[in-house]
Amino acid sequence: MTSARFTRVKGWAPASPLLLVVAVAFGIPAVMLALGAFTVPGAPGEPGTYGLDNVAASLREPYLTKLLTSIELSAVVAVAGALTGTLLAHAVLTSRSAALRESVLSASGVLANFGGVPLAFIWIATLGNSGLVTTSFGLGPGLLYNFWGLALVYLYFSIPLMVLVIAPALEGLRPQWREAAQGSGASVWQFWRHVGLPVLTPALLGGVVLLFGGSFAAYATAAAMVGASVPLVTMQIADALTGNVLVGFENVALALSLDMIVVAMLVMAVYLPLQRRSSRWLR
Amino acid sequence: MTVEFRALRRTYGATTALDGLDLTVAQGELIALLGPSGCGKTTALRCVAGFETPDSGAVLIDGKDVTRVPANRRDAGMVFQSYSLFPNLNARDNVAFGLRVRRRPTAERHARAAELLALVGLPDHGDRFPHQLSGGQQQRVALARALALQPRVLLLDEPLSALDAKVRVTLREEIRRLQLELGITTVFVTHDQEEALSVADRVAVLRAGRLEQVGAPAEIYDRPATPFVAEFVGTMNHVPGRVTGDRVEVFGRSLPVDGTAPGELVDVLIRPEAVLVTPAEDGGALILASSFRGSTARLRVQLADQSEVLADVPGHDAVRLAPGLRVEVGVVERPVLVTARTSGDQEPAVA
Amino acid sequence: MVAVTPQSSARAVAVGGSGWGRRAVLVVAAAYFLVPLVIAISFTVYNEVQGFSLGAYGRIVTSPGFATSFLTSLALAAVTIVLVLVLLLPAMIAVRLGAPGLRPVLETITTLPLIVPPITYVVGISSALREGADALAATPFWATIIAIQDDRFPVVLVLAYVILALPFAYRSLDAGLRAIDVVTLVEAARNLGASWPHLLLRVIMPNLRSALAGAAFLTLALVLGEYTIAALLGYQTFPVWIVTISGNDGQLSVALSILSLVLIWLLLITLSRASGRKKP
Ligand SMILES: Nc1ncnc2c1ncn2[C@@H]1O[C@H](COP(=O)(O)OP(=O)(O)OP(=O)(O)O)[C@@H](O)[C@H]1O
Ligand SMILES: [Mg+2]
Repeated sequence: MTSARFTRVKGWAPASPLLLVVAVAFGIPAVMLALGAFTVPGAPGEPGTYGLDNVAASLREPYLTKLLTSIELSAVVAVAGALTGTLLAHAVLTSRSAALRESVLSASGVLANFGGVPLAFIWIATLGNSGLVTTSFGLGPGLLYNFWGLALVYLYFSIPLMVLVIAPALEGLRPQWREAAQGSGASVWQFWRHVGLPVLTPALLGGVVLLFGGSFAAYATAAAMVGASVPLVTMQIADALTGNVLVGFENVALALSLDMIVVAMLVMAVYLPLQRRSSRWLR
Repeated sequence: MTVEFRALRRTYGATTALDGLDLTVAQGELIALLGPSGCGKTTALRCVAGFETPDSGAVLIDGKDVTRVPANRRDAGMVFQSYSLFPNLNARDNVAFGLRVRRRPTAERHARAAELLALVGLPDHGDRFPHQLSGGQQQRVALARALALQPRVLLLDEPLSALDAKVRVTLREEIRRLQLELGITTVFVTHDQEEALSVADRVAVLRAGRLEQVGAPAEIYDRPATPFVAEFVGTMNHVPGRVTGDRVEVFGRSLPVDGTAPGELVDVLIRPEAVLVTPAEDGGALILASSFRGSTARLRVQLADQSEVLADVPGHDAVRLAPGLRVEVGVVERPVLVTARTSGDQEPAVA
Repeated sequence: MVAVTPQSSARAVAVGGSGWGRRAVLVVAAAYFLVPLVIAISFTVYNEVQGFSLGAYGRIVTSPGFATSFLTSLALAAVTIVLVLVLLLPAMIAVRLGAPGLRPVLETITTLPLIVPPITYVVGISSALREGADALAATPFWATIIAIQDDRFPVVLVLAYVILALPFAYRSLDAGLRAIDVVTLVEAARNLGASWPHLLLRVIMPNLRSALAGAAFLTLALVLGEYTIAALLGYQTFPVWIVTISGNDGQLSVALSILSLVLIWLLLITLSRASGRKKP
């Protein structure tokens, strides 16, 4: 076989530069992160020792609250975003107007990628203490600068992201399924309960995980908007990195980073088997 | 249970899908809706199922007007062209879906599903998911699902068109067997004339949203009411002919005209199997090509005037009637349909 | 977090849903998404003192550092794009030419960056740089560590962006390679005596044009939008400059927000043009 001959000639060699770069640019930081997280700094001049102190500290107050708040915020945004995104996608996709479908989908593409500080600025101009909506309706200050304000702003990119994730799945629902269900005497609700939602489940779960990850990792928006008034783990880590904290807490920042990665991986670990189970029929 | 289409009209913007369709399906009958793509077959069927509301006219099941009854209370089982099984349910649950919606106990659901899967020849496939079934098996399950609630009417929308030829033939025979066994009134949509002719009690030929002709398969084939039906069902030769009185002269023979002739110079419609080909050294016709089909062979024959006709001869004659052979062409003596001349302004064909 | 693109959409199937519910959803969504935008835009072009003015947008270009940071970002993007393609393409072709064991490895290394939050990645990077500089202080490698952190062209950012771009570039190229039969192409070309470089440049790449363009634009979008890593490592890329320059000029900062929105929009349009242009 010709391709088998190429195998022996080429093998994995073409991939070696890639693997090397990944090992250096991703592997080394990962290892340093893990090592640092488990290194307890010694007295000045002394080498550190390995131990669980940092990790333990990162799971105690004041850090625990930040981690939990981050998780809570991301969960709220993920669930709310997934629901509203699905509703919106459904409303748009069932519309007769092709122009509406097209424009909402491309707008979703833009907004799903719109984040960071610029997003914060736009909302500050709207609902900030001197924002136009705030002042014209006399809503009083502090509207935006709390947990729910942040969630509202995160939804601004999360809902469009969900629209993009769920739209192909919604389009994959075949009209025959609904009609076959109706022909068997099912109501609209029964169709969704027994067929529509189960078929959408993998995409819905995928969307929830993606949205969770997006909010969990977001940093700049929150930093620009709420500062320290909503305790988030990303801001704590950034503070440690830029030297805004007491000396010696750098290793706790590494441990916090590790916590974040573990959370992200746990979410994946919960999602993957669920997704595999519910998507087995879609192959 | 009878199904009656009464002056059904349905338009989509500028397209008229149904243009006053009238048709009655008798109790226990299998009627095939046959017609070219876009002639409104699916639309007609969906009006019965309740997925489509006609602009005017009515659908009657058992004499009762059901035009405004929602689809989930119509009592009609439907089988779609393809991919209609619920992908998240295995074959058993697909079949039992209607019972589940009706909150029947699990034991009953399973028993009924097993019974139906056995009926369609898949007794051991209950645990399979649609993606684990072949196209033919999927359609069998879809059929079982459509029958699960013992509907009054069975609606089939080109259920076999996505399958390969062999499966298509077995499955259509099986559908027919089941239909006869259950005595269920059935509307079978297809654009495959062979399928329609072979399984249906009666065939209804549709054209542009109207009924062109309805009748037993042999009647449709042998005595098409209109040139459209004649063209659409089976293959037709257009042979120039000259009308005198109520007879037409073609291939040197005078045949009785079926119906009225539109003028003196006409096209005579002749089926390939009615064209007779005999070897003759000084014959005016020449066999150009032959395609062997097993029991028959179809010959392309060039006539003296350079026009061509198709002729079907028995398969065992295929060797004798090889391309390049000079032949004489005749025609079976029986009434023929004629249409206004379209095949150029040649003189009547002579062979 | 750039690099999520809309799929092209045909008509969809109405599955239940009443007209009123739909309309309500659409109205609420329109309000939520459009009101902040309209307010932000009007805020940038109008104030009570000056009335209508496009001054805020003019100030963007004249602000110090605009050109430098933008060019830095473009240069970073260009190098990242080349690097990503040069690294990925041979590996992905190797997978198809008979190193199938490599596939799970590629899938993994192109998924990890999606799971690892950028802020933790930057923590890892900076601790690696710090420890690396300490450990290598006495060796010639020390100069390398310093060199990759050069302010004018931070190689360390390129490396980070290559990692972050892998998932998106991989998916785009994977779709492209799936559409052409690489094995047959390669065998045919080798059979006709083509050399490997010739084969790659003249046979495979031309057939992958839209996938390559897709990968390139996704990478470009990513680099032009990435803030966290650049900011925390202390480099003045364009997104970082936007934040730095906004300072106390409210109008300018919102104008910059609108600008980045427009930038994303333009990139996405180019992207869909590029990947929409089918092979001849
Ligand atoms: N939902 C719809 N919107 C617009 N036009 C439609 C719709 N459904 C059907 N039509 C049009 O109505 C006409 C009849 O369609 P129908 O599906 O009944 O044809 P058909 O006989 O089943 O054809 P085929 O053999 O191709 O399935 C066609 O011209 C079709 O384009
Ligand atoms: Mg049809």
